[in-house]
Amino acid sequence: MTALRVMGYAALVAGWFVLAWLISGSVVPDGLTLPHVDVEGAFGQAVVARAERYERFLLVLWALQTIVMLGTLALYARHGGRFARESAAGPLGTGMLLGMLGLAILWLAQLPFTVTALWWARRHGVSHVGYLQAVVGGWAELGLTFVAVSVALLVVMGLARRLGSWWWIPGAAVFTGIAALVLFVGPYVYPGLERPDDSGLVGRYRQLERAEGLSGIPLRVEHVSDETSQANAFAFGLGPSRRVVLWNTLLDGRFTNREVDVVLAHELAHHSSDHLPKALGWFGLFALPGALLLMLSTRHLGGMGDPRAVPLALLVAAAWTLATSPAQNVISRRAEAEADWKALETTRDPTGARGLFREFAVTSLGDPSPPTWAHLLLDTHPTLAQRVAMADAWEARHG
Amino acid sequence: MPTVTTTAEPHPVRLLVHDDLRRRRLTVAFRLLLALPQLVWATLYGAAAFLLAFVVWLAVLVEGRAPASLHAFLAGYMRYTVHLAAYLCLAADPYPGFTGATPYPVDVEIDPPARQGRWGAAFRIVLAIPALALASSLGGSTALGGGYGGPVVGALGGLTVVAGVLGWFASLVRGAMPRGMRDAAAYAIGYGAQTTAYVLMLTDRYPDSRPGTASPPPELPPHPVAIAVDRDPLRPRLLVLFRLPLVVPHLVWLTLWATLVVLAAVAAWVTALILGRVPAFLHRFMAAFVRAATHVGAFLLLVGRPFPGFVGREGSYPIDLTVEPPRRQPRLGVLVRPVLALPALLLASAYGGVALVAALLGWFGALATGRMPSGLRDVGAASLRYHAQLAAYGLLLTARYPDSSPVLRGPVGRPVVEPATLPA
Repeated sequence: MTALRVMGYAALVAGWFVLAWLISGSVVPDGLTLPHVDVEGAFGQAVVARAERYERFLLVLWALQTIVMLGTLALYARHGGRFARESAAGPLGTGMLLGMLGLAILWLAQLPFTVTALWWARRHGVSHVGYLQAVVGGWAELGLTFVAVSVALLVVMGLARRLGSWWWIPGAAVFTGIAALVLFVGPYVYPGLERPDDSGLVGRYRQLERAEGLSGIPLRVEHVSDETSQANAFAFGLGPSRRVVLWNTLLDGRFTNREVDVVLAHELAHHSSDHLPKALGWFGLFALPGALLLMLSTRHLGGMGDPRAVPLALLVAAAWTLATSPAQNVISRRAEAEADWKALETTRDPTGARGLFREFAVTSLGDPSPPTWAHLLLDTHPTLAQRVAMADAWEARHG
Repeated sequence: MPTVTTTAEPHPVRLLVHDDLRRRRLTVAFRLLLALPQLVWATLYGAAAFLLAFVVWLAVLVEGRAPASLHAFLAGYMRYTVHLAAYLCLAADPYPGFTGATPYPVDVEIDPPARQGRWGAAFRIVLAIPALALASSLGGSTALGGGYGGPVVGALGGLTVVAGVLGWFASLVRGAMPRGMRDAAAYAIGYGAQTTAYVLMLTDRYPDSRPGTASPPPELPPHPVAIAVDRDPLRPRLLVLFRLPLVVPHLVWLTLWATLVVLAAVAAWVTALILGRVPAFLHRFMAAFVRAATHVGAFLLLVGRPFPGFVGREGSYPIDLTVEPPRRQPRLGVLVRPVLALPALLLASAYGGVALVAALLGWFGALATGRMPSGLRDVGAASLRYHAQLAAYGLLLTARYPDSSPVLRGPVGRPVVEPATLPA
């Protein structure tokens, strides 16, 4: 390795850390100590027991599903190359076929877990989706997944065939560009979003929007009550496409206006704190080493320009995602905590926040205090207990 | 890829076509009205036949063979329904007799009763469901239609109706039925006859949906847009199960490509009006699109085995399309091309329905056996070819009208006789 190359890599690593530092700021006060929360006292013994039982089963299922996923992809990485003979599509098309078939096999292998999880959710009244609808719908949705994987492989293989082993640098940039495009276009093509018909809700939303220094971000409602009783909301879009979306299960009377206001303020905080552009930045930062790893791991098979490398690439991508999920979850939880804090600053209503998080445990069966390993591996949000603790901490600071 | 040659025995119900394509305009004009007595008679005849079929069913269950007298009665009824269907959809011209005993230009030859498997006989109606689905999309059986009480609408649906209606206009104008439409209708009638024979217990042999099995073998004149069909019947089950999602990226790509093709077609139309021919580069661009769409269609409909490419390169797929280079085209034909293509669009829609049913049946079959039945594959290929020829005609790649015959291969060494300038 030449000195120039070493310096290049060093600059890349340094740049990575500088960028990470730049986008990792938070308005949550440094040194904020969250008070202890008596979980059973705050949420109720029965609620906690039910949520724990519900989540424990899903955690076991997740663990088994992950093992099966890795095992399936490992087998596919070893034997999947033989499907290349079923292609008349040239190297790029063959790569796409192998990528799609890998995901198809994975979908088949995970089908028992999907059905079991659905059974469990139906049993607890969380989901109303029928089994046939889930299976056939999942099969049909594979089409969209296949388009995504085909585009990804087209980019990777196209660059790899042109640039050789250096494809990973422009590759990461192209992927980040595609992610930005998807994030921007998403709100315009997301189906089933409607304007809220409650003028009171819209008025409160506008007030909160102004309080957070924003304007002109549309509020939309997604009707999901036919499929689930869980409550949720999300913010998405970039620049002019920014939106806040509430599931209609939040507006069915189980949550008070004050609790809904906390949700609205939380989602607006994602926009006012630029969490989505920052998430895009993190995506790019993780894509870079991920692409490098793909390049290194498939080099012995001729690199990503060769369709035979695609089955192995699927395994590497899955393992990379799994391995980096604790780090990505830390970043996500940090952003969610910031949004919670800003929501408290905006609404100045810790009681409403506590009520909201308690209601989440009841309606969505979220475990207020999950096992640490599960929290680290899976949770993109602070635990419900931590969120109640943050409301307590805010109250303690502001009287 | 392996080539499989089938050397099966002839089907016990064989289609005979000795029609000269000439039609008397007067009887064509009043064909439906003239057929009214026949339809009434067909309903009565059908009621008796289906009643006796039940007796034959019991006899086959007990004896393993249909009684000769009942078999002869049902065979007569079968032949009658074939004559009537051919008369209704203009696949033949003479007024048919009422017994099915006299020879007719579109006829069936039915073997005497043979031993039948009892298990197959016991579950005949269930086993017949796929064949009935395909026969229904082809719509060539008055027997099946008459049997469930819809002598006109039910008797002739799908491909036969469209071919009949279009053939009616063509026959009125030209005094002759277009060969391709006659062959399409005759094929549908033949398949309908085999399905009816299977349901009525005349044979335990499953209907054969391969086009071109009529006697004498139907002609297939050369066409500037031709399809080559690989005979490989194997279909890996994994690729069968995920056929539809696998093809979604292609559909997205073809949609994007199609927007450019529309622009190219407009440019080609204007240029052809001025120069009398389509520039070679536009011809190549649009021909590649039509070929790519055919490859994708072949994969989707299980006509082809491997995953197709994205660029429509000639020779890159086992179900391949050859498009002749650009030639001079009459400017008037170019000017009114969108209007001229409308009848073919109707027929393409009927062919599409048939291909969809064939693909659905083939999907279940291939999932179970890992093979695509050759008959269903050939029906799909015929539909693909028709769509490709229509696309080529619409996009000015050729001035030749699509050939509506489902036949994939013409007889070797026989001259093609066809009334000049008729749309096929």
